[in-house]
Amino acid sequence: MKEKFTDKYDLTLLITTILMVSIGIVAIFSATFANSGGTDFYLKQMTFGIIGLVIMAGISFLPPKYFSKFSYASYGFAIILLILVLLFGKTINGNKSWFYIGGFGIQPSEFAKIATVLALANFLNPGEGEKNPNKILDFIKACIFILIPFVLVKLQNDTGTSLVFLSFIIPVFFWAGLSPFILFAILTPIALAVLSFLGSIYFYVGLVVVIVSLYFFKRGILISIFIFVINLAAGYSVHYMYSKLQIHQQNRIMTLFDPTLDPLGSGYNVIQSKVAIGSGGIFGKGFLQGTQTQLRFIPEQWTDFIFCMIGEEFGLIGASVIIILYLIIIVRLINNASASRNKFMSLTCIGFASLFLFHLLINVGMTIGIMPVIGIPLPLVSYGVSSLLSFMVMIGIGMNAYRHRNIYI
Amino acid sequence: MESAVRKYVFIGLSILIGILLITRLVQLQVIQEKEFGKESQKNSVKKITETPARGLMFDRNGKVLVDNKPSYTLTITPFQFDKSLIDEIAKLIDEDPEYIRELLSKAKGTNRFNPIKIKRDIDFKLISYIEENKERLKGVNYQVESLRYYPIKFKGSHIFGYNSEITEKQLDEQEGNYYRQGDLVGSTGLERYYESYLRGEKGSRLISVDVNGREVGPYNEGLNDVQALNGSDLLLALDADLQEYAEKLMSNKRGAIIAVDPRNGEILCMVSKPDYDLSIFSGTPDSKSIAKLFNDENKPVFNRVTQTKYPPGSTWKMMMCFAGLGSGKITTTSTISCGGSFQFGNRTFEDHGAYGSINLTRALEVSANVFFYKLSLMIGLDNYYQYGKMFGFGTKTGIDLPHETSGLLPSTAYFNKVYGANKWGQGLLVSLGIGQGELGVSPVQMVSYVGAICMDGTYSQPHFVRKIINSVTKEEKVVQYNQRKIELPQKYFDAVKKGMYLVVNGTGTAKNIRNSEYTIAGKTGTAQNPNGNNHSWFVGYAPYEDPKIAVCVLGENAGWGNQFAAPLAAAIMVRYLSGNNSDIYNENNVVKVND
Repeated sequence: MKEKFTDKYDLTLLITTILMVSIGIVAIFSATFANSGGTDFYLKQMTFGIIGLVIMAGISFLPPKYFSKFSYASYGFAIILLILVLLFGKTINGNKSWFYIGGFGIQPSEFAKIATVLALANFLNPGEGEKNPNKILDFIKACIFILIPFVLVKLQNDTGTSLVFLSFIIPVFFWAGLSPFILFAILTPIALAVLSFLGSIYFYVGLVVVIVSLYFFKRGILISIFIFVINLAAGYSVHYMYSKLQIHQQNRIMTLFDPTLDPLGSGYNVIQSKVAIGSGGIFGKGFLQGTQTQLRFIPEQWTDFIFCMIGEEFGLIGASVIIILYLIIIVRLINNASASRNKFMSLTCIGFASLFLFHLLINVGMTIGIMPVIGIPLPLVSYGVSSLLSFMVMIGIGMNAYRHRNIYI
Repeated sequence: MESAVRKYVFIGLSILIGILLITRLVQLQVIQEKEFGKESQKNSVKKITETPARGLMFDRNGKVLVDNKPSYTLTITPFQFDKSLIDEIAKLIDEDPEYIRELLSKAKGTNRFNPIKIKRDIDFKLISYIEENKERLKGVNYQVESLRYYPIKFKGSHIFGYNSEITEKQLDEQEGNYYRQGDLVGSTGLERYYESYLRGEKGSRLISVDVNGREVGPYNEGLNDVQALNGSDLLLALDADLQEYAEKLMSNKRGAIIAVDPRNGEILCMVSKPDYDLSIFSGTPDSKSIAKLFNDENKPVFNRVTQTKYPPGSTWKMMMCFAGLGSGKITTTSTISCGGSFQFGNRTFEDHGAYGSINLTRALEVSANVFFYKLSLMIGLDNYYQYGKMFGFGTKTGIDLPHETSGLLPSTAYFNKVYGANKWGQGLLVSLGIGQGELGVSPVQMVSYVGAICMDGTYSQPHFVRKIINSVTKEEKVVQYNQRKIELPQKYFDAVKKGMYLVVNGTGTAKNIRNSEYTIAGKTGTAQNPNGNNHSWFVGYAPYEDPKIAVCVLGENAGWGNQFAAPLAAAIMVRYLSGNNSDIYNENNVVKVND
């Protein structure tokens, strides 16, 4: 039987990616249009978009075993770069996370994301000697893989990017077979801590849900009580610790949840970006017609706040199309993970899917005022060579997983 | 759990997040659209930065030395500005059109709504012209800024220093992002050293702007505005009258004067000549005068008090006495025989007289070179270096001015580096013994050294600023400075001070400045200089019994120490001690005696 073209090539990923990058270039053009010296931003993004496509295509043909083979080496290399950038890097907007080579800024932390996912996937790959996230020692070892880059990026003063490293840890463990009960035991205290912060009522409702869930898990009375106590402690300790903080520290935490409390700092951007998106309406104000975007009320809008421009000039329809395109990429990566018989590639795809989902939720959420302002880019759309190339490499590996889905090793 | 279930958990979660985001978008863009639409039409907000006034400087008696005056700065806002107006504006401010084009192109890449400062200190006629033609001159505006203004009868150029527009390099290298293009920043002197106090904190106003960029009033009734905080004031130890007097004494001369209160290191006056007029940097800098200033071969911008490295000549001899005493090579009564010259190897080092066998007090009084040639060889380079360090040489004094030099105090390691190990001989020590050779000191090091001698070993960090006053809270911060004790026996200080007393009040080299009212002690120095006439030095203090002022005077290429420097130093000391009343200086009061 003749093989179909679409059996070998993941056209879905390819086409959505090209669409996203193109939309990004258009958005950057508009966001920098009123900026007298900023015309080279979109040209640069276009150049690297094309370079990225070539790299992406190239990666999709490589034998998958190369990725597992070189995963630890690339992880080690990324860690070295993260250390070097701390020592010799250039500080931009307060983050010491850049190398400057021939006029281009390079952010090693963007590439470290890929390397860390690969290393984690390789560690959990059964071919590498049976590792099980349900075993405490393996669980801790796997966490160390993530904590090293997390700490190094945090030291660059780049909190946003450092949190990205925590975003895929649970999903990858879950995919590798973490039992739902352990997952429940890890996640509920975090959830209850956040709930207790939002108000006592939320906390008590959460506590009831925990009790009911524990009943259905049927794990024995002692362990159930233990988990219940941990949840209770998590909720109360948040209140206790918060009351011990200085007023200005409390304020900083409050601004995370309600940016309007700090109208000149992080809140300024959120207020402006909500006005921009809200005023876009269903159909938007039209290309280059957005008053907020063109009047440049939002600083450096072509990087982390690019979604405002889309919301303002292309409206609800444009913004929803972007979100749906992301969902297509994410679901496709999950499908490829599920279809792949190579466990390493499968775990890698899940890691990348989580990265995309986390970036989507945080970045878009922050521009529409439902997430704290954490400076991370909108994948494939925000201006930035390092981020663009690293997400395109992820797509390339995702396409590779599809192409070689029937190969075990 | 089945892997298929896990897959659907993932897909479900992703879709849930997608729905969450789109729901919120619907809420913002459909339900609240009208509200936001109105806000975006009428209430777009822009941030305007308010520049605070820089802190002032006062003298020790509360007299204002450095003040501010309001002035108007012409600005252009690129978003509204029509480039065809450039020629007209250039003509109005009497500048080349290229000058404006350059400023506009420098601001490329920044917010086009931020006004760019074009020219400071514009006159009232221009302001009324802008007002009358407001409709036509779109984007042209002015803002109030404060300029430096000096209500004083002297220059103080090297003390106060000047402010200038921040350079691109400074902008790139700044920590944080406080400074913007066009901001003024302290470049030299106290303006630079205390920049973080003097500058204050910028504030901001949020202004509602309509879609055409027109301002329609304060945003949220000004509730989110942040007031600019004016800079802190500096209370100096400087005595304005004494400074004025010292500058007058030094007019048409080349050199330096610094006087301190030796009890605490407070600087009473500081002159470096030639100097310059600070007002050429205020307002729109007078670029022609500035270029002339920086190209002047006499280097008026250079602070001769803190940045020079000259051999101290005979003013170094007290230092040698302490090194000799401290290292046990001599006692206060040991004598060294001083013929008219000294033979070392095949070189003869001359002296200006033969004094027979003399002790250190007598050697200081007559400035006997042979005594110190021999003493230097006795104590050796390591002791020389150790005691030099003890009296603050080869290190910065910590004066509160930028760009201070450490001078040069030669050590074994230094000579090994310059000449190679074992490639230099003890002969170098002979010249070093009389303050010649490689040795390099600055007047501020010299005055601190004399201050430490007259205070029997208490070395005080020289400084200008006594207090910093927060102009918002009026809170006074007393600045703390170092004071350290040089641990040497009191009799060493007594012997050396006696020598310095005799220099002026005995048969010494500066008896021409003996004063009947105030007992002056000091030491002359005439430093040879390969590039011209000798440098004239005098260091001293008064009154001898209870020192209240220590002075160092340096005359560049001015000849003998007692001829140029000593009369100036005496005049400064007497002036200060008399409560700024007497003026004993007389150009002709000069006796020629060798030192």
